[in-house]
Amino acid sequence: METIVFYLLAASIVFTGVAVVAMRNPIHSALALVCNLIGVAAIFASLQAHFLATVQVIVYAGAIMVLVIFVIMLLNIKEEKPARERFLLLGGVVLAGFAFFVALSFVFLHQFQVTPELTDEITGSVANIGRVLFTKYVFPFEAASLLIMAAIVGSIMIAKTKRREVS
Amino acid sequence: MQIAILVAKAFIIQQVILGLASFCTWVERKGSALIQDRIGANRAGVYWNPKNPLLKIFTPIVKVFGVLGVVNTLLNDAIKALLKEDFVPEGTSTFMHALGPFMAVLPVFLAYCVIPMAPDFEVAGYTIRMQIASLNTGVLFILAMGSIAVYGVVLAGWTGNNKFSLLGALRASAQMISYELAMGIAFATLILSYGTLDLYEIIEVQKSGWGINPLYYPTGILSFIILFIVGMAETKRGPFDMPESESELVAGYFTEYSGMKFLLFWLGEFAEIALFAIILTIFFFGGWHIPFVELPEGVWWAALVGHGVLMTKVVFFCVLQIVIRWTLPRFRYDHLMNLGWKGLLPLSLFNLMITAAIVLWGMNLS
Repeated sequence: METIVFYLLAASIVFTGVAVVAMRNPIHSALALVCNLIGVAAIFASLQAHFLATVQVIVYAGAIMVLVIFVIMLLNIKEEKPARERFLLLGGVVLAGFAFFVALSFVFLHQFQVTPELTDEITGSVANIGRVLFTKYVFPFEAASLLIMAAIVGSIMIAKTKRREVS
Repeated sequence: MQIAILVAKAFIIQQVILGLASFCTWVERKGSALIQDRIGANRAGVYWNPKNPLLKIFTPIVKVFGVLGVVNTLLNDAIKALLKEDFVPEGTSTFMHALGPFMAVLPVFLAYCVIPMAPDFEVAGYTIRMQIASLNTGVLFILAMGSIAVYGVVLAGWTGNNKFSLLGALRASAQMISYELAMGIAFATLILSYGTLDLYEIIEVQKSGWGINPLYYPTGILSFIILFIVGMAETKRGPFDMPESESELVAGYFTEYSGMKFLLFWLGEFAEIALFAIILTIFFFGGWHIPFVELPEGVWWAALVGHGVLMTKVVFFCVLQIVIRWTLPRFRYDHLMNLGWKGLLPLSLFNLMITAAIVLWGMNLS
């Protein structure tokens, strides 16, 4: 049962992932990306990581992608025309695919050591995740929040237009 | 057997949502007439002239239903909408156009998955919890579905291929995103004071006494006010209905929809009103508990009574939201944004800090 669900989800994730790149209309590809992210969230949920799944939906599908679609709608980007340099493009695609394959093979050849106590902490409830996040991994957590803070300040600085001098 | 129980639960909860939504529709139609000193829907009824004397007993009921507009709003409008032409504007894909109302309804219905509708009861050796999915992230799931609900509005506005629809969609999504922040922080405050995310446990905490635990504290009252305002804004109704303001945008994001697709938006909206009423009831007013009365556990009639109590409270809040919608005039758009970002967000952050201090220094509610 679980394997069937997993393969269905995996197929839909791959399909929507291809659709993100293949769709001509930017809104269609953005929506395909939303479906992709929700599919990944469903895989998290099937691994009993409910919190991770919910946060994935809230942050990626609910917040970031809404902003992406917002920008596409506001800028009114039309459908893309097919690229002209077909040959060069094909070469680039093949090269990128090869690089991805090499990277992936390194990942698969490397044997990951998952310590049992770590899995105990990760599987499970919000309380467990919170406990781990604020005790064992408190430094990376705070560092990430500092990084996000810096990014917010930076984006405000870039977006802020200088007020015109009223004379 | 497990799957059969799950399907039955899903069916019953869906019926509850549809019942609440149609009740809200009726209150919206007839109640607004009452508020505005009109008569409202009263003409259409059902042809009822039975020969059988037993059936004749029901004649007054049917007549009353007709005069009260129940038949008009629930049956005739739906049939009319089904028979209408399904209009699709030029230059949009039909699929995307149909996806809009679908995405407006689906997330709201999904959010009901984590809501417990009645206390646990036992039937034939099975303990049944009237909650489709008992996730340990119950409240967060509702937030997640609320953030997905933006897509229905955005898609509807974009596929309308019409400037008014697009403007309405932009307003609606900006409003929903802005108020989601305050809503998330208000939820966080309540999670802090209850110490759990599971809605069933939250109800069980409020078992004894008046059962309105967080309202004992000033922070609880503040978070109730915040959550109520945010709920009104999230459903895009009441004084917050800029996205569909008739005088400026025709009908906003669903301008280009007709027939059943148009009604689906309303269904989603009324289901959302009921959802917020349920959330308020569960968080602040003890869910299915009656003050100072303890129902026996695990009996089927106690579950029924509990469900009735829950629904009574929910109906009260639904009617309250509709009355506010028909009483208050519309905000101006910059006032709305100011209220969201400069009013409610700092207020809810302040509230979170105070609640965290209270919880940290030993005044645990449960």
